[in-house]
Amino acid sequence: MRTTIEPQDASAASPTPGPHLNRKRGYWSRLGSDIWKEWDLYLLLVPGILVILLFKYTPMYGITIAFKDFNIFAGYADSPWVGWKHFAKLFTSPDFAQVFRNTVIISFLKIIILFPLPIIIALMLNELRNMLFKRTVQTVIYLPHFLSWVIVGGLFIDLLSTNGGIVNKVLVSLNMEPIAFFLDNSVFRSVLITSAGWKETGWSTIVYLAAFTMIDPMLYEAAKIDGAGRWKQLWHITLPGIAPIIILMFILRLGNVLEAGTEQILVMYNPVVYQVSDVIGTYVYRMGLGNQDYSFSTAVGLFEAVISFTLVIVGNAMSRKYLQRGIW
Amino acid sequence: MEDHKKALEGNSTARGVIKLSFSEKCFAVFNYTFFILMGLTTLLPFVNLIAKSLSSEGAVISGRVGLLPVGLQFDTYWYVLQDSLFLNSLKNSVLLTLVGTACSLTVTTLTAYPLSKYRLRGRKWLLLMFVFTMLFSGGLIPTYLLMQNLNLVNTFPVLFLPAMINVYNMLIIKNYFEGLPDSLEESAKLDGAGNIRILLSVILPLSLPVMATIGLFFAVAFWNDYFAAMIYITDPGLKPMQLYLKELLVSSSGDFLKDNIDAAINTTPQSIQASSILLATIPILLVYPFLQKYFVKGVLVGSVKG
Repeated sequence: MRTTIEPQDASAASPTPGPHLNRKRGYWSRLGSDIWKEWDLYLLLVPGILVILLFKYTPMYGITIAFKDFNIFAGYADSPWVGWKHFAKLFTSPDFAQVFRNTVIISFLKIIILFPLPIIIALMLNELRNMLFKRTVQTVIYLPHFLSWVIVGGLFIDLLSTNGGIVNKVLVSLNMEPIAFFLDNSVFRSVLITSAGWKETGWSTIVYLAAFTMIDPMLYEAAKIDGAGRWKQLWHITLPGIAPIIILMFILRLGNVLEAGTEQILVMYNPVVYQVSDVIGTYVYRMGLGNQDYSFSTAVGLFEAVISFTLVIVGNAMSRKYLQRGIW
Repeated sequence: MEDHKKALEGNSTARGVIKLSFSEKCFAVFNYTFFILMGLTTLLPFVNLIAKSLSSEGAVISGRVGLLPVGLQFDTYWYVLQDSLFLNSLKNSVLLTLVGTACSLTVTTLTAYPLSKYRLRGRKWLLLMFVFTMLFSGGLIPTYLLMQNLNLVNTFPVLFLPAMINVYNMLIIKNYFEGLPDSLEESAKLDGAGNIRILLSVILPLSLPVMATIGLFFAVAFWNDYFAAMIYITDPGLKPMQLYLKELLVSSSGDFLKDNIDAAINTTPQSIQASSILLATIPILLVYPFLQKYFVKGVLVGSVKG
């Protein structure tokens, strides 16, 4: 952070030293002369740096309240330190245990069902020979990605409602009992998974479709000459070809394992189904902004942030070690 | 000779010429059927919603509305379009999308340009400083308290100020800039142009596709965002449309709880809900052709080089 802000004063204070005169000058002095020479280039960075310092790094300092009994009137500095008290509460609270379980269950269901789906669908799209049909399908299935969770939530509330929802209408016409999807603890998670799949599956195929185009077509030609059928080509060329992308997407997904879909759930859940759908994100929102339990909910948020951060770092390190590929 | 020609024609046509085996034919039939069904699953909810928005409330509640309106009426649309809260939230959303996109695109591009220059000293550390914010954040509550300290709660700027830089989009733009030939910059330098001048009159005109892509990314994100508004905005006059809609849905799902207890009382104006949702979807549908074109490109740029 310091690297960019302080030297500007330094450069203003000392007149420009000739860049070639002294090769062994320190980093700061070289930085100073660079800024002096190309002040306009460094100036362009100022708005962006100010925005992230203020809106991203200042809240990181605010994390300290997870270790304090934050009182809005006393402020950050004067609220008393309480050490690990809020974390102790977190690990013993049955509420949090439930919330953590929900987060992990919903997330794992989403990963198990919704992670492979776009790969399979991309492979199937790749087999379509009629280009007009293929493009039409793509146009249609990308669409839900661009709608907000409010809209998608509204669509599903409407489709699945017990008075007038088309799904229940079908169920009744098949002589089955109507299901109150949004009020039934045994089906609500399936509603979450299904709607997430409906919204994002189509769009998620893009990455894999792009990966297909990077496979050398000669490989297919050679395989055909060797008599490999469509299945063998798929198994021995296409899948290995997109494996790096699959692994990359999986690491990225893993880092989000504790983000079970807060924006989605906030739109779709209600008190009746809290016990199966209250996740870390929604819990922090309700405890923090609803109950104004600032310190405790910051502790919960920090718990999530630290685990997610660790997962991405570890996932990336493993991928670099065993697969020689990583995000960075 | 024939084979050679086929190879030249490319993969897809060559395969079309080759006779399909029985199992391949079966697969093709399955595949086309699958995608027709998938397409329908995506579209039918909208058709149902359109039908509901145009049907009489009685027909909606009794579950008689499928894919066609029953008891055709347009009053719900008139009702929604005359509702001052809806109109005001629409105005807020349009304003937020325009102002937010302009500010975010500007700040994000300005940051991306210097970071695309290898000669920038401290480039690695600066990049790390930006990327770190993607991996770790202070969290909801510290951010909220910051906004409170800055007196930004219940103001319009809180909806776009923190979003003025998006690191992911910044990296895409940076990668694009890195792909432009250095000779452009060098020749402009010989003509005596400064860095800002070079960015504005040499680099930007060549970067219109990526600008369009990222601009659309921002616009869709601002148009669709309800979360920031839900946290920071309680003043009804400042609520954007997504938040207005969310509250409409939640209040109705509250009713929907009540309905279950006492099915006789029905206060949920489902047709009004349906028409509000549709009206909020129309702007996205209008820009969708551009969205699709540029978003796919954007994702490709991001995935190839990012």
